[in-house]
Amino acid sequence: MKKTGIIFFPAFDWSLGESHPEREERLLYTQEQIFEEGIMDLPQVKQYSPGVAGLFEVMLTQAVFPHPHRHKLDAHLIAVGSSMVLSKALMNKEISNGFAMVRPPGHHSGATVWGNRGFCTLNNEAILVNNLRSQYGIKKVAIIDTDVHHGDGTQDVFYHDPNVLCISIHQDGRTIFPGTGFTDEQGGPNAWKTTVNIPLIPGVGDEGFLYALENWILPRVNEFKPDIIINSAGQDNHFTDPIGSMNCTARGYGKITDMIKPDLAVLEGGYSIEGALPYINMAIFLALAGEDYSGVIEPHKPTRSEIGGETFRTYLAKLKQQHDNIQPDWIIRRESFLPTGDWVYLEKNVFYDTDWFQENRKEYIRKCDSCGGTILMLSQNLTTFEKATLVRIPFQACDSCEQAGYDLVEQFKKGEKNLLLQNQLRNQVHMWSQGEEVKLFES
Amino acid sequence: MSYKLGIDVGGTFTDAVLIRDNEVQNKGKIPTDKENLLETIIRATDLLDISNREIEQITISTTLVTNAILQNHLPNVNLVLFPGSGMKLSSLPWPVDYKVLSGELDFRGREVSPPNKKEWLQLVEQLKSSPEQGIAISGKFSHRNNIHEAQLASYLEKELPQANIALGSQLGQTNFYRRSLTTYLNLASQRLFLEFASQLRSAMAARSCKAPVRVLKADGGVLPLDKIRPVESIYSGPAASVLGALAQSNSEDSYVVVDIGGTTTDIGLVLSGSPLISAHGARIGSFLTNVRSLAVRSVPIGGDSAVVMENGQISLASYRLGPAYCIGGSNPTPTDALRYLNLTDYGSYAKAEKAIAGLLPENKRQPQDIRETAEKIVSIMVDRISRAIEELQQEWKDEPAYKIWEVLHQNDDLEFYIQLSGGGSSGISKALSERMNAKTVLMDFSEVSNAIGAAMAKPTFSWTLNLDTYLGRYRIEETGEQGKWNGSKKPHKEVEQFLKDLAYRQAETMGIEVNSLQQEQFDYFPLVESYHTVGQIVRGGMHVTPGVVGRIVK
Repeated sequence: MKKTGIIFFPAFDWSLGESHPEREERLLYTQEQIFEEGIMDLPQVKQYSPGVAGLFEVMLTQAVFPHPHRHKLDAHLIAVGSSMVLSKALMNKEISNGFAMVRPPGHHSGATVWGNRGFCTLNNEAILVNNLRSQYGIKKVAIIDTDVHHGDGTQDVFYHDPNVLCISIHQDGRTIFPGTGFTDEQGGPNAWKTTVNIPLIPGVGDEGFLYALENWILPRVNEFKPDIIINSAGQDNHFTDPIGSMNCTARGYGKITDMIKPDLAVLEGGYSIEGALPYINMAIFLALAGEDYSGVIEPHKPTRSEIGGETFRTYLAKLKQQHDNIQPDWIIRRESFLPTGDWVYLEKNVFYDTDWFQENRKEYIRKCDSCGGTILMLSQNLTTFEKATLVRIPFQACDSCEQAGYDLVEQFKKGEKNLLLQNQLRNQVHMWSQGEEVKLFES
Repeated sequence: MSYKLGIDVGGTFTDAVLIRDNEVQNKGKIPTDKENLLETIIRATDLLDISNREIEQITISTTLVTNAILQNHLPNVNLVLFPGSGMKLSSLPWPVDYKVLSGELDFRGREVSPPNKKEWLQLVEQLKSSPEQGIAISGKFSHRNNIHEAQLASYLEKELPQANIALGSQLGQTNFYRRSLTTYLNLASQRLFLEFASQLRSAMAARSCKAPVRVLKADGGVLPLDKIRPVESIYSGPAASVLGALAQSNSEDSYVVVDIGGTTTDIGLVLSGSPLISAHGARIGSFLTNVRSLAVRSVPIGGDSAVVMENGQISLASYRLGPAYCIGGSNPTPTDALRYLNLTDYGSYAKAEKAIAGLLPENKRQPQDIRETAEKIVSIMVDRISRAIEELQQEWKDEPAYKIWEVLHQNDDLEFYIQLSGGGSSGISKALSERMNAKTVLMDFSEVSNAIGAAMAKPTFSWTLNLDTYLGRYRIEETGEQGKWNGSKKPHKEVEQFLKDLAYRQAETMGIEVNSLQQEQFDYFPLVESYHTVGQIVRGGMHVTPGVVGRIVK
């Protein structure tokens, strides 16, 4: 029998503030609903108990600055670790798919982390994906983010990674946090077109989402041929969500899940904790378990006016056209500290809305035809003015990119306050502070 | 000085002990008459000569209800459901028929849609044809609000005054499926149990014994004969094994309990002196229930299991063909293998040798061949038991956790030893110890350990509050009590006192010492509307965990 795995970790003793949307109550009614329905008694369902991720797994994917011990990570490490319990069960063939219903969420947390943004500190899916690549030989991964907010953190982690396809369908960033996720964001110089953003006008419902899936997302996924598909299953496209302005129903989410057929779904946002979450979580889970979800009906009816039909199809066709026409526009920089090769320069500021500060980040990406390219990120917290540097040698790095990574480390480890080397190729993580190696974890 | 009497009705044998001052004064063992458990219990009692002795209490662990369910001997009951919307009923296997009515509640017990009274008229017409059958009514989320169940019950009481009606909300624990089936089983086993109880009382009265009779439950607790829900008496045998081990070990130890019976080996887990309780309810036959039970495994292998040789492959059957060959039976069993290998001295060596040799072709009966065959039988038995132990330990490690505190304080590095009891346990001790890489300990009163467990069991108590201050309602999971809350919207100390008052009142009616109640940490969920806290959902409980009243001294 094909088994469907579930981790239910509601973190009943964790919140970002008593009346914060990310509070103890968030999965309370989901628990009441899924437990009372008896989904754990379905013969094909296997419930797993939570796990705790190690810092190594985290730091191989995300640079937590200036030092991970400066952050309160307990809840986040459990959310990541629990998601990884399911991915391991999947790799061991104990289950054929699964749903990590965990708090806190993670998809706004990016390649460098100075604090919490969009309720996220660690990126559950990104850490899980890189763990699958480093431990289980998975090569190509597609992440489909169906949260109402742009999955900017996940995009940021994999922006230069040609082997991870990140697709985010979300409410237009001009109308909602985090304000990004437009069609011109399509990946870095070595990973162009492996990031896809589909910003939608407010009011789109089940019909529009399913149309976009069928006509854009799924064809792109099929073309990419991933070994594994992850769904960042945010639930704030629901017609009762207090933050989003979309019109999806619980059954619509069930259909979305049926179409994506993810190997793993990981809960992201969704803040209509009474009107939507208990029902959407049910529908997604029943869809994964191959059960009929047509009886999952919310007590309320949609009141927002829905954008669908010809209006939506025209909108989406134009958006797709715009997306397809965009050409990359890279700037090459030469700096004394850069090893040989052409290095593309990018710069951005990242806003941490929970803690209200900004990070400035300068990125140098080594252009490469044979791998994802070594990356240098110079990051600064604009409130404390602390600086930190990340060097990443990517999975399947070529010899010259690997060497470039080591050269960068030699350059930076003496002078910089904090330097992190993510050697994804060799599955190693090292951190230095003013020339001295810092012990991050037990070996 | 008064005596405690304990009786454990097992599948093959019934054990009885008389205990005074933590000392075993008398013990006995007789074969179980499966067709007449009452008679068996009375004969076991008579064996101990209780006349002229002051008996303080009698505790019985009986397979009465377990057998009736497993052998499909229970009468049919009407099951009427209010499933509302959500997962299809057909997604889960229902071992019994049901009727579906409209009317829906949500997860906080608020009415989403009212019942349809026209359907009730039809229901009455259908039920009139079999007025003697009980009616079990069960609604989704009725443990949060019993309104629909209660409305239908009062309607049916008027229309069908003879009907025996039971409500799912009275078993106020999640989930809907298990609660419905448990309500069904409890109602279906009521008459059988009442008859048993009344006959038992008369039999005791005939022996001038006025001692209260207690019944052992699946969770290792005990309740008076007239207070227990019949369905709670299922699977008391494995619970008795665990309690028997508790009564014969140090109070803080961690160990695996292995009780080898005639055809079944029961395995339980004790963690620092507390038996592991299953995170889910008990499963019995094709019924999933919400009956709280100890986490146990029953392996269908015992000292009397039939040894089968097919195509040169030896296996152990889950049935028994009478006693072991070495004590006069007609079939080879693991008991014969242990005897042949001189691991026990129970029965005749020569007969054991003949039993094992009989499994082999005549040209392959060298002492070496017989020895290897006997060793193979023991190793199959040890292996099956070991795998069940590992499974149970895995179940403990896989226990769900819903709070950060729980995840970060998981204590999974306990060191276990193995407490062995039952016939033949001394024989497999060494092999089991080697296979599990753990010390094994034989219990002093190995052959009547279950009866000791029953006699020494202390009552358990569990009282779980779910309070919604915004809706002004509270519910008690264990009794299904539901009521109004008129206190503050954001209570703190107030709610703890409220729970205590309710729990103490209940504990007193059950004869439980209120000082022994342990309060579990409360969970407070602030309820927020438009960024303002408007109330709280509070969860909390008070418990007395399973245990024994003393330790047996030699």
